[in-house]
Amino acid sequence: MQEKNTRREFLKKGAITSAFAILSSVQAEAFSLANPGIDAKNIKFTGDSTKKYVMVIDLRKCVGCQACTSSCIVENSVPQGQSRTSVTEMEIGEFPDVRKGFLPQLCNHCDEPSCVPVCPTGATFKREDGLVVIDNKICIGCGYCENTCPYDKRFINKETKVMDKCTFCAHRLQDGLLPACVETCVGGARIFGDLNNKSSEVYKLISNFPVDVLQNEQGTKPQVYYIGLDNRLEKIANATISLDNLVQEALQLEEKQWTTVQLGAR
Amino acid sequence: MNKNRRNFLLGTSLVTASASMIGYKETLKTAITMGSRGVPTKDEIYANAQETEGVIRDTFKKNTKFSISSSVCNGCVTNCGVRVKIDQKTQKVVKVTGNPYSPLSSDPWLPYNTPLEKSFSLLGKDSSQSSKYRSTVCARGNVVFDKADDPFRVLKPLKRVGKRGENRWKEIDIEVLLDEITKGGNLFEEGEIEGLSSIRDLETPLNSKDPSLGPKANQLCVLGTGDDGRKAFMVNRFVKSFGTHNYQGHTSICGLSMRAGEAAYLGDFKKYPHLKPDFENCEYLLNIGTSPAQAGNPFKRQAKLLSIGRTQKRLKCVTVTPMLTNSDNIAVGDMSEWIPVLPGGDLAFVMGMIQVIIAKKLYNKEYLSIPSKEAQKTMNDGSFSNSTHLVIQSGKSINKILEKNKTALVIDVKDGKLKPSSQVTQAKLFVDQEVEVDGVIHVVKSAMTLLKESAFEFDLDTYAKSSGISKAKIISTAEEFTSYGRKAAVDCHGGTMHTTGFYTTYAVMVLGLLVGNMNFKGGMSAGGGRYKDWKGSQYNLLEYKGKVKTKGCRIDKTKMAYEKTLEFKTKVANRQNPYPARDTWYPFTNALESEIITNSTKEYPYKLKAMISWNANFLYGQSGTKHIKKLLKEPKDSIPLFIAIDPFINETSKYADYIVPDSIIYETWGVSGAWAGYQTKINTAKFPVKTPKQAKFKNGEPICMDSFIIELGKKLSLLGFGKNSLKGNDGKKYALNRPQDFYIRAFENIAMDSKAVLDIDDSEIALANLEPYIETLKKICGKNWRKTAYVMARGGRFEEKEHGYKNDKLAHSYGKIINLFNPVVAQNRHSMTAERFSGVPRFYKARLNSGELIEELYSKKEYPLLAFSYKSNVLSSPSVSGKKLSHVRFTTYVDINPKTAQESDLKHGDIVKLTSAGGEVLGMLRLRNGIYPNTIGIEHGLGRDGEGAVDVTINDEVKKGIIRRKSGININKLGFLDSSRELATLSDFVVGSNARQALPVKIQKLS
Repeated sequence: MQEKNTRREFLKKGAITSAFAILSSVQAEAFSLANPGIDAKNIKFTGDSTKKYVMVIDLRKCVGCQACTSSCIVENSVPQGQSRTSVTEMEIGEFPDVRKGFLPQLCNHCDEPSCVPVCPTGATFKREDGLVVIDNKICIGCGYCENTCPYDKRFINKETKVMDKCTFCAHRLQDGLLPACVETCVGGARIFGDLNNKSSEVYKLISNFPVDVLQNEQGTKPQVYYIGLDNRLEKIANATISLDNLVQEALQLEEKQWTTVQLGAR
Repeated sequence: MNKNRRNFLLGTSLVTASASMIGYKETLKTAITMGSRGVPTKDEIYANAQETEGVIRDTFKKNTKFSISSSVCNGCVTNCGVRVKIDQKTQKVVKVTGNPYSPLSSDPWLPYNTPLEKSFSLLGKDSSQSSKYRSTVCARGNVVFDKADDPFRVLKPLKRVGKRGENRWKEIDIEVLLDEITKGGNLFEEGEIEGLSSIRDLETPLNSKDPSLGPKANQLCVLGTGDDGRKAFMVNRFVKSFGTHNYQGHTSICGLSMRAGEAAYLGDFKKYPHLKPDFENCEYLLNIGTSPAQAGNPFKRQAKLLSIGRTQKRLKCVTVTPMLTNSDNIAVGDMSEWIPVLPGGDLAFVMGMIQVIIAKKLYNKEYLSIPSKEAQKTMNDGSFSNSTHLVIQSGKSINKILEKNKTALVIDVKDGKLKPSSQVTQAKLFVDQEVEVDGVIHVVKSAMTLLKESAFEFDLDTYAKSSGISKAKIISTAEEFTSYGRKAAVDCHGGTMHTTGFYTTYAVMVLGLLVGNMNFKGGMSAGGGRYKDWKGSQYNLLEYKGKVKTKGCRIDKTKMAYEKTLEFKTKVANRQNPYPARDTWYPFTNALESEIITNSTKEYPYKLKAMISWNANFLYGQSGTKHIKKLLKEPKDSIPLFIAIDPFINETSKYADYIVPDSIIYETWGVSGAWAGYQTKINTAKFPVKTPKQAKFKNGEPICMDSFIIELGKKLSLLGFGKNSLKGNDGKKYALNRPQDFYIRAFENIAMDSKAVLDIDDSEIALANLEPYIETLKKICGKNWRKTAYVMARGGRFEEKEHGYKNDKLAHSYGKIINLFNPVVAQNRHSMTAERFSGVPRFYKARLNSGELIEELYSKKEYPLLAFSYKSNVLSSPSVSGKKLSHVRFTTYVDINPKTAQESDLKHGDIVKLTSAGGEVLGMLRLRNGIYPNTIGIEHGLGRDGEGAVDVTINDEVKKGIIRRKSGININKLGFLDSSRELATLSDFVVGSNARQALPVKIQKLS
């Protein structure tokens, strides 16, 4: 069984030094924190400074259907087995007193993002409209940001080999469209909008309901707000591992091979 | 076990994918090697995101690289209206979103005349209406479109090579296929096979000794599946012009127990109407063996309305299932409750509730006392029932309702006198006495008295033990349910697919009767109906000269009482006891796909000569299929000629002699409605919105079900096809040569129904990418073409939301009498045991047809667990060939309660073998607290043996099966035969629905 913490330990003790070594020798020029896109005031890099984009997730309306998960995969061409957003589905309690819990998760687009200061190349940064984005051309895939993100919402894209995560569908926002996951949310749990706009739904919800963020104690000031967050959800999501991981481990398979395991009827 | 671990994460590959080791290893690899960059992203910030469908700056401006067309999703059988974004260059679907005009994807949905442009801009980021009109697609619908590009898709006609079921094929020309199947001959070097031309004989009896079985034409059986919007075409144009009495849908392996129980309650075994709660307004929703936020019909609609109702604290949702489903949610607190029940224990639970409701007089007495339509009007009620009608208890007329001049007689509460129900406003509810009609004395009991007797036949302890739900919980649920009055609704579905499922559903519906919820806002609804489509104001597309009034006996022994058969009459004439019949007959069942192969093999009632299956897959969906595969392998023993129309080689078409490709999602024509759970008219229209990939007929039509039966019909000279076979209401006749000749006229009917829709303008034609259809529309619809295009642009026609209700009732109400007592059921006997069926819901233990009890035949000692399946929120049987869906749900598991696992020394992740009396499956064990101890839960949708799960050889080339599709568990492999019958799978003892729930099994750890 492999847990998140174990992985972190592994990272700290193992690979970091070698990564460092190679970094400094091969791509020293990438250490400049200047970003040509930002410098050029390209809107794609700066965002619309009049806006402050946030997402509110009303957990009371989530039915754990994973429509968001699916639509994100399609919209953002996320490789097989990886995801920018998904809904953790869990059971809380023991029979017969068991409840179902759902926790949709994505990049929190934090106001104090821990991923930004550790980026050695300036590839990851926060736009003026609140979105935390990655410049794929500058990212060297060192993994520091993945390691520092308390929410585990960053990953190396298997195809592009650079860091990947939710962008709030920045490309759609630019064209006046909603993020794909919001558009397709069956229960109507995901609400997206501009917190600077006092008539926006997100503003009203945040003003009228007690809202929570994930791991508030991290001090990262997430901009994904939850209504109805039960702290047990967070605990479980962080304490247990999914069976799919267990399966792969038990069968000692790499992902490719796993698809050829014959279970089912004889 | 770590305490934390007692709470389980129900992992799918994606749920924790970002936290998986694989992702992490990738990071390390990249970090260490640095130089080995991957494929560069398309954009430095947006990475590999799709190009958007357009831009909203005040108005919506579409991206011309794409078309965005309205269509229907076929990822399951709900038929949701969606919008499809297609790359014009590659002709590939790149994305699917909801159609905001469709109530199956949005609530509220857009007013129908909202300009098309607004339907985009209103959903934009800066629109204040975007949340309100949000139009969605489920996890499946978002990704399942990629199945169209699956390498296992059948694109050319196939003929089998080698023996049946070897899954070896060669591609043949469609003309050769048509020739061979019509003429017959020694097609496989296995001897002569009769072709469809000579089978199509409407004169010669198929059995000269028993002409009541019907003509030879009945020896062709056509199998369909859930209606995808084309069933009317198949049935009315082909089946009825061929003249066979044998068409079957998939209901018997889907939810027939539910459908039949509701049909009994509604007193209509012809139309089999469908009931669902009015999710939008109900305040207490009791779900038995179904879960509105997990799956079902229409999943998105009911899930959304449920989430709104609970968030507003208006609706309490109670789910009675063996497993905790997604209908529960800790975030809504006490607005949601799970009542764990033993698999198959639902009937006992509901009968217990009925007993409590009667004992404590918690029923709506005033409503139940309404004896007639007239009284209903006087009382301004939503419906009326036969609760006060009098059932004759003895003599020749036993179990008939006491009538005079076809009007039921009831006892008026005012004066205690017997009167025609039409003249009584409130009739006596509990009656057990003698009455005199025209000098004849009858012993009668009211339907309500019969229900009371039935409910009290067993005590609450028995009901509690059989259901696995405590007495206290049965009582409190009955009290809570009735406390919501007419805003308490009930629902049930696939969980009732066990041996006593028919009475389970009937009992569940009667709970609703006891509170009088029919046709009430927040109560039960038979749906909002549809605009006239097939038979409409412009054309009657279902009628034509030469349409056959089919007759005789159906191969599945449905719609016919045993007492009407020659077998029965002969036995009686010979003074033999006519019971048992050789096998079970089903007098009020509509169709039993699950009985066809076995009956043909038994030659009872007769043998089939040919079968055409259209997207049917009973070998995957029927419990106990192992036994049927064997039969199908032998053409001579079961069915000599088997033609499958199928876009894939599935578990069933694998055994076909020929496979005709069908069009697939977003390539097909059709008109569908909604099954239930909606209050306004819905017609969802679909037409090919991308170029189909299949081979074509000579006239350029891609080969699909529709074009195939047109060509086959013409070849057989059937009158349903070709010149002059379509009838206009103005007396004009039109040719049916292409699918569009039929479907575009249906669209026109829809457009012109009641108040015709508006004319579409040119800008909307462009926005909806309808240009390719304009010439055809002008040719077919003449002056109505712009109205027809208006319907196509909006993906159908949808009545305005506010038309759904009138004051406190539903606007589209069910008008017939509600049957607390169903006389058709009561007047029939079981053909094997001769027992009379109860006319009111009654508790029966799980049983074989003979009445032998499952618990006695398969002891707890040998089979300590009960297995059940549940509908997946992600997977469905038509979705396995979608590659992207495997991201979201990789495989399925054997679910078990940790306590049960511990008792058997089993652990999370163990590979286990499940064994029943009928088969065995292997799977990986998943521990979850939300499951009844000593049961096994299996998510339905994987464990496939077709659609790319296994190797297939075409033209000597082998395509290797994708084992992920084979992985996971199919519960139907645990199904078994009813040992009291001659070769038949276990089924409901009344209506014959396939029994896949509550199967006794044992578990064993492997390795």
